[in-house]
Amino acid sequence: MRKHYRYIAVAVAAATIAGIAGCSATDGGDGGGSESGTVTLLMADPQENVQPALDAFAEAYPDITVEYEYVPFDQFNNLIEQRVGGGDDSVDVYAVDSGAVGSLATKGYLVDLTDDFADKVASDSLPATADANTFDGKLWSVPLWTSLQYLYYNKDLLDAAGVAYPSQNLDEAATYQQLLEDSKKVQAAGATWGLLFGQINRYYQLQPLVESAGGGSGVAGDDLLTADINNEGWLSAMDWYSQLFEDGVAPRGIATEQMSALFATGEAAYLVNGPWQIAQNIAEDKVNYGVAANPVWEGGDPAMSTGSWNLGINPATDNLEASKTLIEFLSLTQEGNSAAAEPQGTSPTFNASFDEFVNGLDARDGERTAGLGELTSALLNNTAVNRPNSPGFTQMADVTGRAFEDIRNGQDVKATLDDAQAELQGLWDRLK
Amino acid sequence: MTLLHHKVDREAGAQPASRRRRRGSGVWKVALVFLAPTLLLLLVLRVIPITEAIVASFQRSPSRVAPPRWVGFENYEALLSNGDFAQVLGVTGLFILIIIPFQVISAIFLALLLNERFPGLGIVRAFIFVPVAAPAAVATVVWGVAFQPQGPINAVLEAVGIPGQPFLTSPDQALLAIIILMSWIGVGYWTLFLVAGLQDIPHELYEAASIDGAGWWRSFFSITLPNLRRTLAFIIVADTVASLIAFVPVALLTRGGPADSTRLIMYDAYNNTFVLGDPHLGQAEVTILILVLVAITALQFRLLGREKES
Repeated sequence: MRKHYRYIAVAVAAATIAGIAGCSATDGGDGGGSESGTVTLLMADPQENVQPALDAFAEAYPDITVEYEYVPFDQFNNLIEQRVGGGDDSVDVYAVDSGAVGSLATKGYLVDLTDDFADKVASDSLPATADANTFDGKLWSVPLWTSLQYLYYNKDLLDAAGVAYPSQNLDEAATYQQLLEDSKKVQAAGATWGLLFGQINRYYQLQPLVESAGGGSGVAGDDLLTADINNEGWLSAMDWYSQLFEDGVAPRGIATEQMSALFATGEAAYLVNGPWQIAQNIAEDKVNYGVAANPVWEGGDPAMSTGSWNLGINPATDNLEASKTLIEFLSLTQEGNSAAAEPQGTSPTFNASFDEFVNGLDARDGERTAGLGELTSALLNNTAVNRPNSPGFTQMADVTGRAFEDIRNGQDVKATLDDAQAELQGLWDRLK
Repeated sequence: MTLLHHKVDREAGAQPASRRRRRGSGVWKVALVFLAPTLLLLLVLRVIPITEAIVASFQRSPSRVAPPRWVGFENYEALLSNGDFAQVLGVTGLFILIIIPFQVISAIFLALLLNERFPGLGIVRAFIFVPVAAPAAVATVVWGVAFQPQGPINAVLEAVGIPGQPFLTSPDQALLAIIILMSWIGVGYWTLFLVAGLQDIPHELYEAASIDGAGWWRSFFSITLPNLRRTLAFIIVADTVASLIAFVPVALLTRGGPADSTRLIMYDAYNNTFVLGDPHLGQAEVTILILVLVAITALQFRLLGREKES
């Protein structure tokens, strides 16, 4: 069946490419694509998170069928390695994590989209997303969502302990150090947990902590393959992180996926997490919460995680043009991009969709989310840091993830970071 | 088949040697037809993947879609000169040294228990054998919850005045916790073989020993254990092989941590291949693992062969 499709697809693709080449002189080589066939879309989100977008696409392009495959995040990169790396043509479009673009492009796992979409992404999407999808001067994927982080706090627990609410004003953002102290006070007044992070042991979530503490992203060198994860900034940040668990402010041994639920069910005083937490809070309806500016290191620059999933095309695809049509709709049209971001309440990347999203934020959950639109714009404009687009990001995410987990479990900070530095550099040397 | 054999037997004595050889090759052809499905499966599922692994272990490529180039022993040198791989071998060795005696002794104890007649035998038997049927992933997830610092095991410990334990979050306890959960799944399986072995021992031997005045312990060491030798040899070897390729609990619960204390070789090979995208390094590790497994299997044949001679 697949083979059959492949021959047809090759013929269609050849004809379409010829068509595009023929008309490129007049239309500037615009994206465009065929409007028939089946496209398999592989993502790390359950289907309901993109269903409205898929429905809108089905209506706009009735001759293109999208087959959706959901792979949980923990297995996602491994599966890409096996299927895209193994030349499997049954994957056409797949989600590309910000930070992994350089790594995937270097391995030859992505179709170069520069001629099709680079201009459009530059003009119509949030500025930071163009950088996140560009490696070596070429565009390899198109943005679907971006992310930002807020500091959520449980008003009832803070009131019980007599602790002041953290500020929404960026200049008065709570410091990590203050939050650790306040957490203990709130716990003394009865809270189970103090301060949690949505992804408590992953690079995405902890990069702003080390960046704000002056440690940088952990990547150095022109080729972005020199590890720098045991400098002073990293050591200070990880000392603080270690203390969080040593003092019982955050739990050991509980999976990172459960952090969001712990806050939404009223068991934690603070949580650093993305806008999707609002949807969970509303669904659980158990927490009286407020939203404040993402925390900052005492005396350091503010930094906040950003970037999210992007969409790229498998070079082995047997339906290149329909794949381009799909990613263009989801990323570079207001209808598609807004619909794709809506179910989780996450941030879209298409400028018009983003404006719509920000305007609706204040009213997301009544008084609890008042002022959120202004805060969001301030955070994204002043504090957002992308994950480094190193060709060795996969290795970095794995090594630092294990180091964070070891530190969380009480291992010595310096020894753990020194070991991680040596291991990461060893892995990166093999890529040079 | 019967007809064929009959014909072959009838003709065998009367024919000259050259004819017999020709007919001999005919029998081989028939045998080959019957063996073909198995041989084909062996070729596709064993010989080709192993050959590919060995070949790939002498190659390198910047990615899986780029053509690989020959690099001789470079991958092996990278592994063996790396302290992390020494740690992997050390952890795997320690794991085998603890889990095999623990599981074998537990299985002998349980088999002896199940070989006796006592009220409630059926229930005890079910408790021992049911985990064998539970999918490893499900059992692992359930144990993972039980081992959480705020989980049910610590709740019980604290209720009786024992301080809560860190289990999977401590480098001193994580490997032991993995051994306990794997034994919970595996011991029942090995017990099955030993129960069968025990039931094969002629009862007269125990009667004779009893008439000679031998006690329970004397009968155990002089009759039971020697008669179980073949079964035990099989269990020890098969358990060692199964434990060397242990993967699920590490992948689901610890990812090799904390501090690499559960970084078993199979998980490390998987991590190198699929997480870090370095399949050639992973294949070098797999090749080393295959060599160890071949050595263990050879030992098994030797042990069983010697048993046959005696």
